[in-house]
Formats: sequence, structure tokens, C-alpha cells
Amino acid sequence: MSGIRPARDPDTWGVFAAAADGRVVVGECSSCRAVLHLPRPYCHRCGSFEVGWRTVAGRGRLWSWTTVHQSIHPAFEAPYTVVVVELDDEPGVRLVGRVPGEPDLEIGMALVARFEPLGGDGDGALVQWDPAEDRRNAWVS
Amino acid sequence: MWPGRDRCAIVGIGATEFSRDAGRSELRLAIEASVAALTDAGIDPAAVDGIVRCDMDAVSHVALAEALGVRNLTYWGVTGPGGAAPCAQVAHAVAAVVSGEATTVLCPRSIAWASAGGLGSAMGRGAGGGAGGRGSYEELFVPYGLLAPASTYAAVARRHMHAFGTTREQLGAIALACRARANANPAAQMHERPLDLDTYLAGRPISTPLGLFDCCLVSDGACAVVVTSAERAADCAQPAVSITAVAQGSGPGIQGGMLSSVLVRDDPLTWPCRWVGEELWRRAGLGPAEVDVAQIYDCFTPTVLIQLEDYGFCAKGEGGPFAASGAIGFDGSLPINTAGGNLSEAYIHGMNHVVEGVRQLRGESTSPVPGAEVCLVTSGPPPATSAMVLTRAA
Repeated sequence: MSGIRPARDPDTWGVFAAAADGRVVVGECSSCRAVLHLPRPYCHRCGSFEVGWRTVAGRGRLWSWTTVHQSIHPAFEAPYTVVVVELDDEPGVRLVGRVPGEPDLEIGMALVARFEPLGGDGDGALVQWDPAEDRRNAWVS
Repeated sequence: MWPGRDRCAIVGIGATEFSRDAGRSELRLAIEASVAALTDAGIDPAAVDGIVRCDMDAVSHVALAEALGVRNLTYWGVTGPGGAAPCAQVAHAVAAVVSGEATTVLCPRSIAWASAGGLGSAMGRGAGGGAGGRGSYEELFVPYGLLAPASTYAAVARRHMHAFGTTREQLGAIALACRARANANPAAQMHERPLDLDTYLAGRPISTPLGLFDCCLVSDGACAVVVTSAERAADCAQPAVSITAVAQGSGPGIQGGMLSSVLVRDDPLTWPCRWVGEELWRRAGLGPAEVDVAQIYDCFTPTVLIQLEDYGFCAKGEGGPFAASGAIGFDGSLPINTAGGNLSEAYIHGMNHVVEGVRQLRGESTSPVPGAEVCLVTSGPPPATSAMVLTRAA
């Protein structure tokens, strides 16, 4: 990958570890199964510190997006587009992704997950998103 | 009744000039604004016994206290993040005065982000062992390029457009309202730079749908205000402006993180301002209909859009038509940002909004709203934030 790596944080690294395994996950309470998104190490609903990860389908809908024309960091060359994706399996749970350039987008369009290894000495991956329809026109080269 | 109601006043205000390169340190700027505020109040700097900081301010309470010759600091505090701080600094000051922790509390904000290369540089993201971590949640956003605050506000703005039909022209009405007031304010960075809708719409894209004129300035400068009890205020040099009510609030489901995490809240189009507003109006015994003039935190135009809705000036989703109706102009029902705001006066992270709120009620604004008696001042969302109601002291 190019860009900025995520820090390896004990409460959130599971997202990147699962992505390296080809899975999209959301945090959940291991006791009462409440969704914990953003991931956190305690469930206030049932008082449990036993938390884990729920694997969900790597499918979602575009909730919003922005094309960045003025980059503030040399690791990200403008223009690029940040997508906000709502998961099909967990309505209301949103993740962000990055797409090169200025793709043709429409709120509500179907997206599928793709996994981008961090490379280097790490073992994680980022979850990125491609159009679900007609993969030949996927915006990723 | 809220025990802090009208118990404290802002008795002094101070500001440096605003520029893109002050050519002096943040400490120096903080001292200048603080001395100006204390001089304005007629208070000996040695008598300051409280300082409440913004978490992003480089200047420590002890450095400022030492520079001012403070005899004994009995209260200090810090709040934020960043633009959420100014009204919350005043809230801490009121709490300190009402509880007896301090009598005379200074609330400064000094910033030199313009000469430092802007917010991105100042925040120093992506250093060392990767972005975020340690409870910041930035690791879930920054590696995807969600770095500049503009991009988070842009994604919210686009969703607002999708949900409610909000237009660029309506956001432009916010930018133009602020610019018009800056054009009347000789101290504003954009004083001599008029803005019309065509120029606004032609502004280069920054993070779509937001363009250049949707974004606040970058500035070097400082502002400070002095808070004391209503009783002591009567002996000060200037007419006191009463802090009728001040409130902080998060609301439920605030999410960790600072800005980007608004995108993963249950409703990213309703901000903590809704809960701050409910509490503020209850504490003040007033409502949005009683507000004569408002200083609304404006890091980006959609920030104002959503606050107009959340503080109850219009219904959710109607911020765009409300802004474009002329209501927020100088002759409208709710004149906003009468010195130009973050968009066109200076980006002092919203402390300039507090200073201008006081000026309005003293009749010292460069755009004085006739008969203004009640001023709303808000600080920056979408993090948990703060706001206050200032009134002319009786």
C-alpha cells in the first residue's frame, strides 16, 4: 500500500488482521452480541469486557463521499476519493475507504469489499471498496 | 433554576491583529491578548487566579501565569478538542467562580497555525508507528485519506444535500453572510475582499462538494476574555456582559475520535449541538426566538448549516433554505458572525466569536445589531461541544 499505516492498537487491530484474512468484521460483545462500532473493549449494555469480532458480508451501499482536491499529506496524492460505506449486513454501521481519482459515484450504489495488504513488516490489510456491478469497470487499476 | 444563571460576567476582551504570519510566538500572542483583556477590564494581571486553556493551545497555564506576573493561580483547566473549547472554557470559568475555586479567570486562545503551514502540519499526523491508536480511533480513518477536517465536513454536507436537497448556493449564502460582515470589520483578514455568489461557486474545489470559500481561514493571532462574578463585574471598567447560561454537551452515541467519527454515529446529520441547545435554552430560560444576534462557529459552511437546525432556528433539513432566505444577514432575523467569523474574520478557533459576542452587547461591534440584548455564541462541533447565551447585564 501507499499512504499512512494504521497504528497497531489492541482495541482496533482486529479489523486490519481480519482484512488480511479476507474478511470484513465489526466489533461485537461476546456476551450479549451487541455491535460495538467503533470497536471498544467494553460493552456498556451488559457490562462485559469479553469482546470480539463478527464477520459480515463484504457488501455495502455508498452513504456519502468526497473527492479530495487539496491533499494535506504527501502520502496521499490528490485527487482521490474517500467513500463512506454502510454495510448491508449491519445497517447503520459505516466504514470508510479510499478510491483513486474521481470516480463516477451515486449515493446508494452497491459496493463490494476488496482487501489491500499493508505490506512491509505488518500482517494487516485495509478494507477498500469497489463497485458491485460490472467489475470490468472497477475504478481500481 | 440553573445555579450559574447570570452569576458571572465577561468583563474584559482582548485580541491581537489577525494575519497569516504574526512573526512572533504563540506565547507572545497569548500575553498580548491577555494583557489587552485585563486592561479592558481594569484588572491587575497579578490578580488573575484562574486560567482555562484549549487543549490545542501551545501555551501552558503556568507559562502564561508567569508571564503575566500572577501571584497565585488557584484554578486551571483544559477543555476541547480545539474549536469545541471556547464556550467550554467560559463554562469552566463560571464553574470555578461559582464554586469558589477562583475569582478572576482568564480564557485565552493563541494560535499560529498559518505560519506553521496549516492544520495538517500542526496536527502532525502519520508520524512514527502509524496513524492513530491509543484511543484516538484515527487509525480507522487516516489510512483511508480522511485527514483534512474539510473532508469529513464535506461527506456530511453531501449527505445533507442528498437527504434534504441542500444546494451549493445555500451553503454559499453562509459564506457570503460572513464575508459581508468581515468587509465591515477593519480587523478582519478578509476586510478588503468582497465575495459574490459567482465567485463563491467558482472557488477551486478543496474536498467536494466544498470549495475554497466553504473553508475557514488560517490565521496567526490570539483572543482572550476575562470572567468574574457578577458582583465583582460591577466594579470593572467596562459594562459587564452577563453569562446568562453556558452549556457543554455530548448527546448519546458521541463516538470516540475527534472529527471523522461523526460519520459513524447513528445520525451524522444531527450533532451534539442539539443536546447543548436543549440544555442551554433550559438553563437560560430563553429560546432561539429570543436571540437577537448569533456568533455561530464556522470552520466550514456546513458547520453553520447544521447548527442552525440543531439550535432550533429552523427544522432539521431546512438549514439551507433558512440560510438562503436572508435570515442570517445583517438585516435578517438572526444576523450571524458579525465580525466575519472563522470564515472571514480569522481562525482563532472560535474565541473570536466570544469576543465579538461581547462587543455586540456593548455596542462596540463594527456591525452593531440595533437593540441587541441576547447573543448566542457557539463553539465547534461535531465533537462534544459548548455554547452560551450572553445578555446585556441589567
